[in-house]
Amino acid sequence: MTTKRLLEIAKNTMEQARERNEVDQVQVAAFQVNSALTRYANSQIHQNVASNKGGIAIKVVTGGRIGTLLVNSLEKGQIKDAVTDAVKIARVTPPNKDFRSLPKPAKWIPINDVYHKETAECTPDYRAERVKEAIDAAHSRSQLVKAVAGSFSTESLAFAVVNSLGTSAWTEIAVASIQTTVISKSGSSQGFSSEEQHSRRIKDIDAAQVGGRAADRSIRSINPSKISIGEHEVVLSPRAVAGLFMYLGYIGFSATSFQDGQSFVKYNLGKRVFDKKLNVRDDPRDPKTLYSFSIDGEGVPKAKVQLVEEGRVSEKSICYDSFTAGKEKRMSTGHAIPPVFGFISRPMPFNILVTSGNASVEEMIQETKRGIFITRFHYTNPVEPSKAILTGLTRDGTFLIENGELTNPVRNLRYTDSMLSALKTIPMIGKDLEILEDVTTPAMKLAKLRFTGITAH
Amino acid sequence: MSLDLGRKGLEEALEAGATYADIRIGEILNENLTVKNGVPEEVNQSKMKGFGLRVLARGSWGFAASVDVTKSEVVKVAREAVAIARASAKVNKDPVSLRDAKTERAKYSTPVKKDPFKISLEEKMDILMEAESTVAKQSPLIKVSYSFFRAKQEKKLFMSTEGAEINQQIVWCGGGLMGVAIKNGEVQRRSYPSSFRGNFSTSGFEFFESLRLIQEAKKVGQDALQLLNAEKCPSTTKNLIITGDQLALQIHESCGHPTELDRALGMEADYAGTSFLTPDKLNTFKYGSKKVNIIADSTVLGGLGTFGYDDEGIPAKKTYLVKEGVFVGYQSSRETAALLELKESSGGMRADSPLKIPLIRMTNINLLEGDWKAEELIEDTRDGILMQTNRSWSIDDRRLNFQFGAEIGWRIKGGSREEMIKNPTYTGITPQFWGSCDAISRDDWMMWGTPNCGKGVPGQVMYVGHGCGTARFKEVQVGLLK
Repeated sequence: MTTKRLLEIAKNTMEQARERNEVDQVQVAAFQVNSALTRYANSQIHQNVASNKGGIAIKVVTGGRIGTLLVNSLEKGQIKDAVTDAVKIARVTPPNKDFRSLPKPAKWIPINDVYHKETAECTPDYRAERVKEAIDAAHSRSQLVKAVAGSFSTESLAFAVVNSLGTSAWTEIAVASIQTTVISKSGSSQGFSSEEQHSRRIKDIDAAQVGGRAADRSIRSINPSKISIGEHEVVLSPRAVAGLFMYLGYIGFSATSFQDGQSFVKYNLGKRVFDKKLNVRDDPRDPKTLYSFSIDGEGVPKAKVQLVEEGRVSEKSICYDSFTAGKEKRMSTGHAIPPVFGFISRPMPFNILVTSGNASVEEMIQETKRGIFITRFHYTNPVEPSKAILTGLTRDGTFLIENGELTNPVRNLRYTDSMLSALKTIPMIGKDLEILEDVTTPAMKLAKLRFTGITAH
Repeated sequence: MSLDLGRKGLEEALEAGATYADIRIGEILNENLTVKNGVPEEVNQSKMKGFGLRVLARGSWGFAASVDVTKSEVVKVAREAVAIARASAKVNKDPVSLRDAKTERAKYSTPVKKDPFKISLEEKMDILMEAESTVAKQSPLIKVSYSFFRAKQEKKLFMSTEGAEINQQIVWCGGGLMGVAIKNGEVQRRSYPSSFRGNFSTSGFEFFESLRLIQEAKKVGQDALQLLNAEKCPSTTKNLIITGDQLALQIHESCGHPTELDRALGMEADYAGTSFLTPDKLNTFKYGSKKVNIIADSTVLGGLGTFGYDDEGIPAKKTYLVKEGVFVGYQSSRETAALLELKESSGGMRADSPLKIPLIRMTNINLLEGDWKAEELIEDTRDGILMQTNRSWSIDDRRLNFQFGAEIGWRIKGGSREEMIKNPTYTGITPQFWGSCDAISRDDWMMWGTPNCGKGVPGQVMYVGHGCGTARFKEVQVGLLK
């Protein structure tokens, strides 16, 4: 029982801090991350790693002064030193006038069925066998398949949080992920594609299917032709959609961005900025989200937040931790980043779910006279966050759609566009959801996406 | 650092069946201070201690790591690493071989005048509070203002079954400022001395002091304010002059990453991608104009990627990547150097913690100085745009098509710097872009530190450096925003 041990460590650490007279409030999060990952390239395993990492994050408040310390150790002596150091930091730090209080205790309900022992305790031999299946499946598709790369990982993440106001909460999950990239070749032209699958149940991972699908699309992407840049109708696979919403979550729906005036939501409150069909929520309790923690990094129950409702964004779209909520005299929505992900001080959604529609990808293609099918985006980055302008490139299989059919592969394209424009008209939304780490989403057809460049491949 | 613990781990690995093993035992101390809008938003330290054992068994790699630095855990982890290597061998057609390396017993420490961890927190916070408030008070339109400090100390012991015993202590620090001006939904920001929280150097606190944040803060606020009223970047082709703080990231993305040999050999294909600089192009491919000389140099004083030895025990060195415009070298490891039959590793294997495996990482990737003064570049340009300080970045999975945005720009007309430009962006294809480089400065050449280079699965974040001045590129596409 990892969480029971972590809770005990967190409580003991908190008591050590409370024994010091000058401490007004204290919060302790104890965490444990056990991870293993088998990585492959050129159709063989080239990296294979495992690590056990535990630690505590302490926040001490004294006279409005805050000191925080993260130590990657659960050893008693080091924890004792960490308490002393955290108090020292708080003592000499100037007061933080925006700080109100650590969160008060709130009722939290565990989420069932999120930790599976067989996922957490997967062996290197099991991972190697699945990797072999992915590689063999890809090569079996065609002689044109030249190299298979990817990774197969398992991770168990547990943490417990207590604070001096009475918060006492804990959570533990285990996840498994496979990602496979297939490189094919004909003459001097290479084809690329990739697939991924994530689940909390390792038995759900179908390595052969992932490898086979990536190979099929990779072979099809050989000999891409050049097309003109400008605005094009596009059909986005779930992975491409996820790439956009992950960044929108970061730049748009975090209370830090909102309060800093750098979120597009700030300038569009109550406005229907996206297509009316678009509904997006952040909900850790939905079984189709991957990182289903019942609490956040401060032990606050993670609330469901409707990020986009029938295309509208509003003040209710914003995700808060206790600090950013305190600045607006609100309650935290439970979006402080858990200590298992490191020291990240901005609240963010990572259980993003885009509501499904009723179309299949095939129907989206059939309904497109001329457009582009995009498998995945690469190296997306915000250009102007307040206008939701992103740039990035297509990758791993980009195809022309002509008269309702996928025809030729095309060279990868760079898009530079405001999502307020790109997601304004969404003629079709897919019916099948795909879990892609932080985002669970269906495919989507957009009326237009603005492309500003083209690559050599 | 315990030599006994290291020996125990190596012995146990050999006992369990490893043919080669190395162990890294490390301690990392990090301090992050951020003042934002008048409050100390981030005052935190993180400490970690741990070890990682990398082994070769049956010709395949295994790696295991733990934060429990005890003999019993070392024994357990050594056995686990060998078991993992044996699993790797089930899906490995080419047994790993390593380029020979001279076995060293050595020590290295970053030369430091003032240990940044011995300077009181009060002293650091006083500087940050005053600098931040100076940015903020330039105008009520400065809605967000920041000052940053960061310091890192990494102690590590590297030991191998070949007999290496190398102790190192690497220390770096730095900081910066940022002001964000907002008016009617228009958001403009200005950073000093660079974006990504400033500039960083393997040095002591004296480097942070040399940044003079308090004295520079007024200009940061005023520039952000002026940008609100600046004109938009035109959409056209122009002669483009890029200052060192932006050019550093251009070098990083379009030369640093594509010359990593693991990428070129497909080992990163599943994540960040491959490289257009494939081995068949070595020593023949025209990467840039004759003016372009780029080296990987882990010896340069103060570079953020400067150290004594890499995480395979290879001493710091200089390696040419591009010489007079021709692609002539890779950043490599012992394994990849053997695969390509190179004479030796370039000494760039680094891990961001003892819990992670070393990967080929940039050290200091430097564009060697040219023969111009920075001001002469402007005087010699009849019609162009000058861009400074990165704001956005993106490049394709072979490192060819890039697009960058800068925080600020100026029109260059008739050899002089004219009106300010906001939201400047430029794009290009790597070899064409570097092929158009016709002038590089010498007088403003300096080291820029990038503390946030991401690579690998599981992800690692490495600190790397880039030495450069200002450079000019002919006929570049600028102005990508509507």
